[in-house]
Amino acid sequence: MKKLIQYIGIAILLSISVIACNLEKEVEIVLPAYERQYVVECYLEPGKPFNLLLTKSSSYFDSISLDPAKYLKDLLADSAKVTITHNGVVHELKETLYIDPTTNKLGNYASQDLVPADYTNEFVLKIVTKEGKLINGVTKILPIVKIDSIAVEYQDTFARVLTYLTDSKLTEDYYRRVLNEGSLDSLPRQDFANDDKLYDTELVAYGTGYNYVKGDTIFNTIFHMTKDYFDFFRTINIAKASNGNIIAQPSTITSNVSGSANPIGIFTGLSYDRKMTIIK
Amino acid sequence: MFLSNFLFGQNTFTINGTIKDADNGETLLGATIEVPKYQSGTTTNEYGFYSITIPEGTDSIVLKYSYIGYQTISRTIIANKNIVINIKLQPVGQVLSEVVVAANGLEEKNKSTEMSVATLNVKEAKLLPALFGEVDIIKTIQLKPGVNGGSEGSTGLFVRGGGADQNLIVLDEAIVYNAQHLFGFFSTFNSDALKDVKIFKGGFPSQYGGRLSSVIDVRLKEGNNQKFSGSGGIGLIASRLTLEGPIQKGKSSFIVSGRRTYVDIFTNAINKANENKEGATKIPGYYFYDLNTKVNFELGPKDRLFVSGYFGRDVFNFSNKTFNFNFNWGNATGTARWNHVFNPKLFLNTTFTYSDYQYNISNKLTGFEFNTNSNIRDANLKFDFHNNLNTNHNLRFGGNITYHQFGVGRLKAGSTDGKISFSAGNDFNGTEMGAYVADEYQALKNLKINAGLRLSSFISSGNVSNLGWEPRLALNYGVNDKISLKASYSRMYQYVHLISNSGISLPTDIWYPSTAKVKPETSDQIAGGISWLLGKHWLLTNEYYYKWLGNQIEYKDGAQLFANDNIENEFSFGKGYAYGMEWELEKKEGKLTGWIGYTLAWVKKGGFPDIMQGRYFSPKYDRRHNLTVVAIYELNRRISLTGAFVFGSGDVGWLPSGRLTFQNTTGTQFDPVIPVYGDRNTFRLPNYHRLDLGMVIRFWHKWGESDLTISVYNAYDRRNTYILYLEPEYQTVNQGGVNIQIPTRIAAKQISLFPILPSITWNFKF
Repeated sequence: MKKLIQYIGIAILLSISVIACNLEKEVEIVLPAYERQYVVECYLEPGKPFNLLLTKSSSYFDSISLDPAKYLKDLLADSAKVTITHNGVVHELKETLYIDPTTNKLGNYASQDLVPADYTNEFVLKIVTKEGKLINGVTKILPIVKIDSIAVEYQDTFARVLTYLTDSKLTEDYYRRVLNEGSLDSLPRQDFANDDKLYDTELVAYGTGYNYVKGDTIFNTIFHMTKDYFDFFRTINIAKASNGNIIAQPSTITSNVSGSANPIGIFTGLSYDRKMTIIK
Repeated sequence: MFLSNFLFGQNTFTINGTIKDADNGETLLGATIEVPKYQSGTTTNEYGFYSITIPEGTDSIVLKYSYIGYQTISRTIIANKNIVINIKLQPVGQVLSEVVVAANGLEEKNKSTEMSVATLNVKEAKLLPALFGEVDIIKTIQLKPGVNGGSEGSTGLFVRGGGADQNLIVLDEAIVYNAQHLFGFFSTFNSDALKDVKIFKGGFPSQYGGRLSSVIDVRLKEGNNQKFSGSGGIGLIASRLTLEGPIQKGKSSFIVSGRRTYVDIFTNAINKANENKEGATKIPGYYFYDLNTKVNFELGPKDRLFVSGYFGRDVFNFSNKTFNFNFNWGNATGTARWNHVFNPKLFLNTTFTYSDYQYNISNKLTGFEFNTNSNIRDANLKFDFHNNLNTNHNLRFGGNITYHQFGVGRLKAGSTDGKISFSAGNDFNGTEMGAYVADEYQALKNLKINAGLRLSSFISSGNVSNLGWEPRLALNYGVNDKISLKASYSRMYQYVHLISNSGISLPTDIWYPSTAKVKPETSDQIAGGISWLLGKHWLLTNEYYYKWLGNQIEYKDGAQLFANDNIENEFSFGKGYAYGMEWELEKKEGKLTGWIGYTLAWVKKGGFPDIMQGRYFSPKYDRRHNLTVVAIYELNRRISLTGAFVFGSGDVGWLPSGRLTFQNTTGTQFDPVIPVYGDRNTFRLPNYHRLDLGMVIRFWHKWGESDLTISVYNAYDRRNTYILYLEPEYQTVNQGGVNIQIPTRIAAKQISLFPILPSITWNFKF
């Protein structure tokens, strides 16, 4: 009887598989008209040069060049005038293709000036595009919320990593947690943001499963985000996740840059603490 | 009900009673009582009770009792005193009673002040071809004009531009929240246990309130009080069994009806067989079940007591050595009802109901556990009086009070040793009240009016109170015996809202009360139309409606729904409007029965300050054209052929129009394609159409009857669009020491849900 039930079950699954062939296919559609927009990504990291990436979005079905140089030329927005003002000092970011040697991240507007570790005063962004349109943004750099400690706990030969920090109950805070394995270039194992309303206590712990063995290297990064950055990050992820997902609702991207250029993007301070742990 | 047109000033007497099925003792709802001498009559109410007042006289008067599918009975009386006449009607014949049955005759429907209403016959629904062979009364309702079913296979209901939560679904007067199984593919209603289903799309009678767009009133059978009997079926997805019988013959009865799926039996067997196989992936388990129970007692000639209950659950689970996931959701309802006849003119129904909907998701990994749940619970007490005041006025009045308790978005997560801990969630409660009065009266010879007023209120846990006056009006002007003009107006208030962040109904959708910030939703609907009896068997109706929607709720863009203690902050409030035209041609008797329905409709929402700068947009269910053709053909006594053709304009979808490149920060990846979404719902999906065919073959045995129901869903294998998405293909290149991914091509892809799907079900009754 058991065998019969197993065979019937396999027969049902096979039948469904056969009937369900070709339920996916490519189709021709016409999307709503789209006008290219400027996209700003500017992260102010104290002690590092001012650096900004200014690109242009495209219509979804716009043709794409397979030549990397041509691809970048179409992607990167040129001939803009970019300044960041802080405490009355105007820092001009010149058009330069800049690659951070430690992070391998791109920028196309940079300055030799270093971002000051000022957690009080505002930074004001102003971009005048080559068409003469404006992009504006304002931000502050939040104080770093330091990782209190890292604990490694073992179960048999496997280990998990707990990351502790202290969240102030006096302020409304937003955090982003990124966990990389092996190197910072690797695809993050964890990358999510949350507000502090979830936390039951001031001492907060982020954890992993018992996934690691001796010799594994873990990079724990905790970003202390502004609300603007939190909203931008969240809506980017929602937009990504909702493509083809019937239970998700798409979203426009919440930006903190504005102006006559109708830009999308984020201008924010980058405050983070990072610890490297080698499983022993 | 339709009324008499007697002279004032005469002495009158009242005849009252109940009308039942002679075979099984079930009360007949909407059966007709005619007094041909006075060209008047009435119908039984939703409890099978009737009351009619006629002038005193010494001549004999004939009363005709009729119900489609049953033999008409006449009674001759002398109207010189009040009389109680209880009637038992005999079904006409096996064939007709199975196929050609309708709760209301077309003539009565033509004469009634009720408009924008459809009464569905369960026996008819059972003959129609069904997805996986599972008869579903909600899917039958979706075939009616003015009702949009949402996405493929879903049991969602979008009625005259209203959202999925704007439908009041009651089972024996208890509210059913999220009336669906398997993520909306099947409803919670087991057709074997149902007696009557009525949907109001407009012209709402005053006794109904609490939802804006429709009322679906589902009544359970009472159980055969003449003899023990049973019925059931074995299908591809589930099996059913119903047992009913007398507790005391003719006086009391019970019915128990259950249904369960069994695909998990096969998947468990396969998992067990693969238990020790290297690399074998376990198949998740899923099942659902329903249980309906009811008992009823005649306590005396004037009193009846009913107690009924429903319990249903969906369970989805998966586990292995390090992972244990369980997702379950379901409804439980209970109803206790007492009918009392004070005198021939005054009838009272008192009902206490309890409803509970909840979902629970728990997930245990090694050393970590996660639990989220939400629920809504109601306790409701209501009184409904039916007062046949005199020959020209029929009053209904009553009230109800409902206590709601809401558990919203509860979350508890963390490590099993307590070192990591997160939590969120809110509890609310509220009290909803309503009182109404309505009078149906014969204003002129050809003009009947049903005028009513409902007063509703809601007091939330923050002591915020809302009050709503809800006028109701319905008119029927009889141009002649065949043609009636009808018009209606209704105002409705809705105090409990379903917050759903997707285009489909999910078990995790949250019910939320009105609060200081969340105002009650409102609707004002006017409707007008013509009802035309063509010959004896065809009824043509044409209706036009316009609906204003107020205090509508949408989520803001990027709303944070999960683990949010202040979910109200994610709401945006606006308004909307819907208008349309519906045609329906129906035939209820003869070898060929069925209907053709066509709807042309628009719905828009706007004025939300956080969405598109307040500009108007189409909700996902803004379907422009809807055509359904349903046919049942009685080939002979043994075989029935059935078919349903559905055509609808594609739903609107929200697709990205642009894309951007996102570099992100250190420790994260460069993302070359992030969709950029613009205005909501500007894309129209391809048209939807499909044909379902069915055949029912009957057999007779010594022990009873059986049939084989063969269905082919989507007979010409139309690949309708279920999901449309945009898929980039990438190539990684190195530019100046930096690895970047370039999208080389972007394709639009469509996923269909159901190809051609044959099914076979064996049904029996004894």
